[in-house]
Amino acid sequence: MSTAQPTPRTKLDDSSIIVKADRVNKYFGRLHVLQDINMEVHKNEVVVILGPSGSGKSTFLRCINHIEKINSGHIYVNGHMIGYLERNGRLIEDNDRNIARQRAEIGMVFQRFNLFPHLTALENVIEAPVLVRRTPDEQARAEGMRLLERVGLADKHDKFPNQLSGGQQQRVAIARALAMKPSLMLFDEPTSALDPEMIGEVLDVMKELAHEMTMVVVSHEMGFARAAAHRLIFMDAGRIVEEGTPDTFFDHPREDRTRLFLSQILH
Amino acid sequence: MYHFDWAVLWQYLWPPTAFQDPLIRTGLIVTVVVSVVAQALGVILGLFAALGKMSKFVPFRVLAEAYIWYFRGTPLLVQMALMFFGLGVTHIYDFPDILVCAPAAGAPLLTVSAHSVQVLCNATTVDSPLILIIGAIQAGTLALGINEGAYMAEIVRAGIESIDPGQMEAAKSLGMTFAMAMRRIVLPQAAKVIVPPLGNEFNNMMKTTSLMEYISAGELFFAFNQINTRLFQPFELFIAASMYYLVLTTIWSVIQVRIEASLGERKGMERGPGMFERIFSGSFGKGAH
Repeated sequence: MSTAQPTPRTKLDDSSIIVKADRVNKYFGRLHVLQDINMEVHKNEVVVILGPSGSGKSTFLRCINHIEKINSGHIYVNGHMIGYLERNGRLIEDNDRNIARQRAEIGMVFQRFNLFPHLTALENVIEAPVLVRRTPDEQARAEGMRLLERVGLADKHDKFPNQLSGGQQQRVAIARALAMKPSLMLFDEPTSALDPEMIGEVLDVMKELAHEMTMVVVSHEMGFARAAAHRLIFMDAGRIVEEGTPDTFFDHPREDRTRLFLSQILH
Repeated sequence: MYHFDWAVLWQYLWPPTAFQDPLIRTGLIVTVVVSVVAQALGVILGLFAALGKMSKFVPFRVLAEAYIWYFRGTPLLVQMALMFFGLGVTHIYDFPDILVCAPAAGAPLLTVSAHSVQVLCNATTVDSPLILIIGAIQAGTLALGINEGAYMAEIVRAGIESIDPGQMEAAKSLGMTFAMAMRRIVLPQAAKVIVPPLGNEFNNMMKTTSLMEYISAGELFFAFNQINTRLFQPFELFIAASMYYLVLTTIWSVIQVRIEASLGERKGMERGPGMFERIFSGSFGKGAH
């Protein structure tokens, strides 16, 4: 299986590469969910991953911050291999503390929001900065309020998640991820669990973020992909089938599989 | 025909007269203190056993499973005997001296140096002074706590597993370590699930302390048993004894309702069953493990 592959390194030299996946494979039991995935995300680039359900796109996203393990290959984030150490050519899972340190630089927004229900909106936002970054409480609160303001929810700072709508919860979740000042944001189908009338408010926040952040977004929102993405990646059955800029991707897809998918999703 | 002596019942039921007997005064304190300490020990051990059971690290899992297996699979009374007589006779742990105090109020406590079971047995036949065998209280508390931990492990595990895995993922994605995420995110939420059964466990614990009578630990049931050897009025005395336990468990159920209500308040959860249902639902009549 191994061709002339350069020896894998634990560090990358090119600092403009935020994410690099190198021949990533993953199995769920006998199911080969990720097959030799190679991709790079550059600084300030917005990449949208599309694909039918079961194509492995969410799984791949979750591998980027090592919430899912991989079976082979390498994923580098911010120049360092994530989740694993290399000893004598073998990958060994890194310790909890080191993985946590790397994850602190990667924001993630989940399909089901995953806000902490026992904490208010503001407490959700400041929990990690205070606990992980040891930001002084007052400073964290001030910054947290600024972030809530940015997502248009400053007035809801003392509300608990179950007192907020889905769209509001997701905006708090985005603020919570931003509070760690990450160098990369991952969005895992951030609007799939929302009622249609709430999708817009979340996408507006994301579009604004897209101007200044490195983002990898798994989404079915074609409007967002066209407007905000620099590059689209189409995955099917655990492989990257096609990638390109929004214009070439939507208007001149090369692969039949991509055409079929687009025709189904755009009707 | 048994002569039911109302005077004896009343004397030992009514606290002002009953508490004149140092056995009962001390017995009540021992029962409450041992219950609290043993339950606290049980919660701590239960938390570690639950985490051990859920650990990826095999030795932790084996250790936790073995602990739960043994202490749920053997009688508490046997564990207590093992702890007291076994640890004492092997000198794995030398239990401290026996306390003997005169019955008169304000009389000084004096200490009798005694390690062996023999002295212990002789001492309990003396009927005038109050004898408090500190070692028996320690052994009893330890046995109750360790036994309780095995049961709490399942309760804590169920509590942790009731929390959406997305909570742990979100916490980890923010850079929290496993320990941080457990302490700040998962356990506070699991507490809401753990507290109601924990309250029931404590209710059981207060009743189960009566098993310590067997090792003469000086708790309530021991006290009434001692008085019975003097008066031989078992019907009256054990009715009185049962009433003390009933008062303790009833007071606790009131406190429990308050605690659960305050836990639910912050998140605006609906309230659980009221105090009335709780007291008369039989939910705490499950008896000892």
